[in-house]
Amino acid sequence: MAANMLRLYLTCIRNTLEAAMCLQNFPCQEVERHNKPEVELKTSPELLLNSVVICRNEAEKCLIETSINSLRISLKVKQADELENILTKKFLRFLSMRAEAFQVLRRKPVQGYDISFLITNYHCEEMQKQRLIDFIVQFMEDIDKEISELKLSVNTRGRLVATEFLKQFI
Amino acid sequence: MILLQSPSKYLLQILTTRLENLDKGVELDSYWIEFNDVRYHVQASMKNPNLLFLSVSLPPPPPETVSFGGLPPGAIEAIKAAYGVVAQILDPPRDGFSLTLKLNLSKLPPDEEHKHGVLTKIASVREVVLGAPLRVFLKQLASRTVASDIDKVVALVHRPMESFFLIPQVEKVTVVFPMRFKDSIDILLATSFLKEFVDARRTAGLNNAPPCSWSPSPPPELKGAPPEALSSNAGFVSFVIFPRHVEGRKLDRTVWSLSTFHAYVSYHVKCSEGFMHTRMRRRVESLIQALDGAKPDYEKAVKATQNRSFKRLSLKDGRSSLKSFS
Repeated sequence: MAANMLRLYLTCIRNTLEAAMCLQNFPCQEVERHNKPEVELKTSPELLLNSVVICRNEAEKCLIETSINSLRISLKVKQADELENILTKKFLRFLSMRAEAFQVLRRKPVQGYDISFLITNYHCEEMQKQRLIDFIVQFMEDIDKEISELKLSVNTRGRLVATEFLKQFI
Repeated sequence: MILLQSPSKYLLQILTTRLENLDKGVELDSYWIEFNDVRYHVQASMKNPNLLFLSVSLPPPPPETVSFGGLPPGAIEAIKAAYGVVAQILDPPRDGFSLTLKLNLSKLPPDEEHKHGVLTKIASVREVVLGAPLRVFLKQLASRTVASDIDKVVALVHRPMESFFLIPQVEKVTVVFPMRFKDSIDILLATSFLKEFVDARRTAGLNNAPPCSWSPSPPPELKGAPPEALSSNAGFVSFVIFPRHVEGRKLDRTVWSLSTFHAYVSYHVKCSEGFMHTRMRRRVESLIQALDGAKPDYEKAVKATQNRSFKRLSLKDGRSSLKSFS
């Protein structure tokens, strides 16, 4: 059931991205010879599309904002307890610090979300659209997997540490 | 290595190497620090290759603990009992140290097994000295004699300026550790580990292990203790030690395990964080590879390196270098 819900959530995001990822080069209207991602500036409403929020539940959602030359995807990841909270923060901070290597990752997440991507028309020119969308969806699955595996490793190690210590007294 | 080992590996190595090379005796002057701020100094000269001066400095005790001249209560007796004629306590100790021992290697037992046993015991000097007061209480528990401090809260030092607590009774000794960590991630990981101790104790195979409990606030047994010593950010862990945990050979192991409990948890918290970092780095690499797969040139570049053919330069490459300026 949970896997099914995840599939639906990811499929919805994938379909929205396929529709939204139609980016073209657009030199800045306000400043000469500048070329900026319009979704970050949000100064000209005619260049922006309506933003879409896809919610899996109250704790998990995805915000997709599109403009003529750029697309911003923000994710809020579920954090069930204190430990998951800190593991998620640690892991996503780890990724964001390496944003340059990832190219499409934003260094800071959008306010209210845990991690953000910024895709520009240049990225779409360099990379195949389908593969890029595959990457984003894969990324989302990987985050979920990684957090639960990290949590599991902490619990397993905790059990082992405790057992070995107590065994000494027997 | 899951459990912390009592003999200091480095010290044991120095001693055995010295013993093996007595005729080639060299000048030795070594100084090092181990976990919880225990410092060692070893000095030996060529003039008397059999003599070795070992100095140990202990973590500074907090005000609520008792100490006699820089050493924990019972330490001097413990040293004499453990080392006999091999070690002689020098008074005053070397400057900056709590204890200096003059070791006479010629007084070691002649047969190899016993000799190694004594050397290992010397390398465990930390356990002997720091664990001395705890050992006294646990020995009284093993022989079920009435302790002088019965039902009172006793504070013993285990970390710099931090203590843990003992409540000795005739039938059992309760040991309570206030757990403190500096980093917020450490606190969370440690709290989850400590809760595992309580859960693990309930499994069938560990019925004879000391009953163990965790609470976020000071347990009622610590009523008599000074409030400054009772601050903690990862809760309080209590173990109840019964005579069966300290009979015979188990006594030394129990003393060591309890004296280094905080260090043990701290060590594994750090290992856990290191492991998580390794995992995250690996995940980052695999994600970047997936992203590279999105580039149409990737497959061509992979094939090109495999075929060792030349890459054709085109306008596109020129444009990509221009982009880096914009």
